[in-house]
Amino acid sequence: MNRRVVITGVGPVSSIGIGAEAFGAGLRAGRSGISEIESFDTTGFPHVMAGGVPQFEPKSLLERISPEKWGRTSQFAASAARLAVTDAGIDPTELSSSAAGSCMGTTGGESQVLEALTEDSLTVGFAGVDRALMGHIPASRLAVAVNRELGLTGEALTLSTACSASNYAVGHAYDQIHTGEQDYMVAGGADSLERWGHAGFFRLGAVAENACRPFDKDRTGILTAEGGAAVFLESLDSALARGARIYAEVLGYALNCDADHMTAPNKDSIVRCIRMAHRNAGTDPSDVDYICAHGTGTPANDLTEATATAEAFDGAPPPISSVKSMLGHTMGAASGFSVIASVLGIHDSFLPPTINFGELDPQMPPIDPVPNEARYQPVNIAQVNGFAFGGNNAITIFGRYS
Amino acid sequence: MTTLAITGWGVASPIGVGADEFAANLRAGKDGRTDVSEMFDEPLPRTDAFAMTDFRARDHLGRKGTTFLDRSTALAMVACGQALTDAALEITDENTQRVGVALGTTAGSVKSTSDYSKATFVEEKPYLVNPLIFPNAVMNAAAGQSAIRYRLRGVNATLAGGSVAVLTALRYARSLIALDRADTLMVGAVEEFGPQVAWANQFAMREHGGELPAGEGAAIFVVEDADRVRAAGRTPDAEVLSVEVATHIPDDENDPDVDFSATLARCLRRALDRAGVPAGDVHAVASAENGMPAKDGYEDRAITDVLGTAPRRLRVKQQTGEALSASNALQLAALLSLHRGDPALDGAVSVLTSHTPDGVVGAAVLRGWSGRDRASE
Repeated sequence: MNRRVVITGVGPVSSIGIGAEAFGAGLRAGRSGISEIESFDTTGFPHVMAGGVPQFEPKSLLERISPEKWGRTSQFAASAARLAVTDAGIDPTELSSSAAGSCMGTTGGESQVLEALTEDSLTVGFAGVDRALMGHIPASRLAVAVNRELGLTGEALTLSTACSASNYAVGHAYDQIHTGEQDYMVAGGADSLERWGHAGFFRLGAVAENACRPFDKDRTGILTAEGGAAVFLESLDSALARGARIYAEVLGYALNCDADHMTAPNKDSIVRCIRMAHRNAGTDPSDVDYICAHGTGTPANDLTEATATAEAFDGAPPPISSVKSMLGHTMGAASGFSVIASVLGIHDSFLPPTINFGELDPQMPPIDPVPNEARYQPVNIAQVNGFAFGGNNAITIFGRYS
Repeated sequence: MTTLAITGWGVASPIGVGADEFAANLRAGKDGRTDVSEMFDEPLPRTDAFAMTDFRARDHLGRKGTTFLDRSTALAMVACGQALTDAALEITDENTQRVGVALGTTAGSVKSTSDYSKATFVEEKPYLVNPLIFPNAVMNAAAGQSAIRYRLRGVNATLAGGSVAVLTALRYARSLIALDRADTLMVGAVEEFGPQVAWANQFAMREHGGELPAGEGAAIFVVEDADRVRAAGRTPDAEVLSVEVATHIPDDENDPDVDFSATLARCLRRALDRAGVPAGDVHAVASAENGMPAKDGYEDRAITDVLGTAPRRLRVKQQTGEALSASNALQLAALLSLHRGDPALDGAVSVLTSHTPDGVVGAAVLRGWSGRDRASE
């Protein structure tokens, strides 16, 4: 069928803003969403800052499903999806009677439910825990929550490829519409803060104390974070026929695997993934105006990413910023937020900044991280990087539709 | 749309490791139920389960690099290695970028994740967790480790689809191969047995009037473009003629009607339609029935409404337990087992159906063969 695919709705549920307008304003202002952790007891943890979303009120966003029957991550997923569909302005009845589905990415799924039950089991055993909550553990529920909230009768696929999962999801949604398998897709990702993840990253020496400073010479790591990010995809013809606002066109994507190390990034593999993404999107590197980086703020990721980017762009990469400086690392939602930031940047002609930036790491090739303040300029083509444990690399490419 | 071919498979299950052993034991009616009372320190809901109590990663994978593997990852790696051998697929510098993984799960290695959370509560400091096993607690560990061991640098995906994970993974693989994003995918699913999943299964069974214990295992299938396999003069084990999934949406979310029968029947009809196969041609059906009377009834009604009562029925969970995504993989393995070494069934059509507790249903239509000549190797 080879249909062109566009994004006509975005649904961010983030620490810097809920909904397209608030999130876009947060990006342009370079707002920090970092606060002291409220989701769990931080007693004994040396580092207690994270990108939580305590202002998230699923009841005010969800119209169909009952929050208490779903875990927090599914609530994030379904709320983000509802916002994206509302933003797209498509008739809900039309949507539920069409070939439509969802694809959501995640790192931890509903592991914060498992964590709560594990804590309870320490006193009452698993025999004594809340039985209904046991049923909330499957990660598959993220995409199912989206379909049940929106009445989508097609595929409900949760991709658990860790911290690049939203890029996988957007890529899969693109394929489904491109081939005519589905007419509408909601894609993105969601994750919730948990103790186990916070502890694990801390023990890897990868958690910052107060601020995430991607590409800075003094960067010390990530800040764990949470949220839900979703975009609404349809064919270009469908968007034109209903007079929809088009944020951007999905030009293509690429996935590959390091097959080398579970946690350390691999420069050569990332270079291959970038080149493959450009090839698949039919994009010349010199035409890319902006890269929304994986940019976690760890010494290893940022050095590898900057070096790989310089190599893949023949020493002349476009501006590359990290929205994780504002949001923290929202794990499976991370590349979803990056996709939203990039298509808003394309539509509204701005580059989101890397905040908390002081001085570029001298070990890195010269890059422009869009330091501290958003930059207003046209963006015709944007690239979104997503890398993950397991060497799961995923890169998506978006273009201005005009 | 591209048709997929399965050109080899591997399995690690309570009724056998390896396609030949699994197929033989399945036919012989072997029951994988065993005494698990000594398997863990934590209390279990019952003394029996369909667990692989004797399974040790190092027995199959060697000592090197296996010390810190979680059980799910080890099971997946064993099945993956066997599938590669069964398909005579050698990973070389030429094909390493084009062979990938699409592995199903429900929630990853649940024991690893739960134990990691537990350490944050019981250790002297909440951060005194073991950094070496941190990746095991993340759901893509099995796919990532399998890629490392077998040098699979193509698309590496983990699909949390629960009991329909292999159906969704086949659809995922079909898109990737159709759009030339990969040549070959290792498609399958894995689940491990442990206290957490044993209790979760026990609660679900009690709620729905069933009594089947939890299981574990992995099955992985080598999936390629059927046209290419045919053009190369190779004989596949099966062609996946169609795979359809759908979501059952209850009219009222506050009082959800869980009878997914009509949605599954529609899905199965669409699968037959897209496969271009009349219902009367179907000779066998592998269902997800697990002894929950109402749910089994919904699935059975959909199958009999569309296919009648003539097809032979395979209920693989009776011999291998409730292992969610892995059961979905073993359903597929069971259909392939019918053909393994039996040319009399060459070209026969079979169907696979499944459903999740929250309303996702799916069906696949396959045409099977006895496969390439493996006896002469």
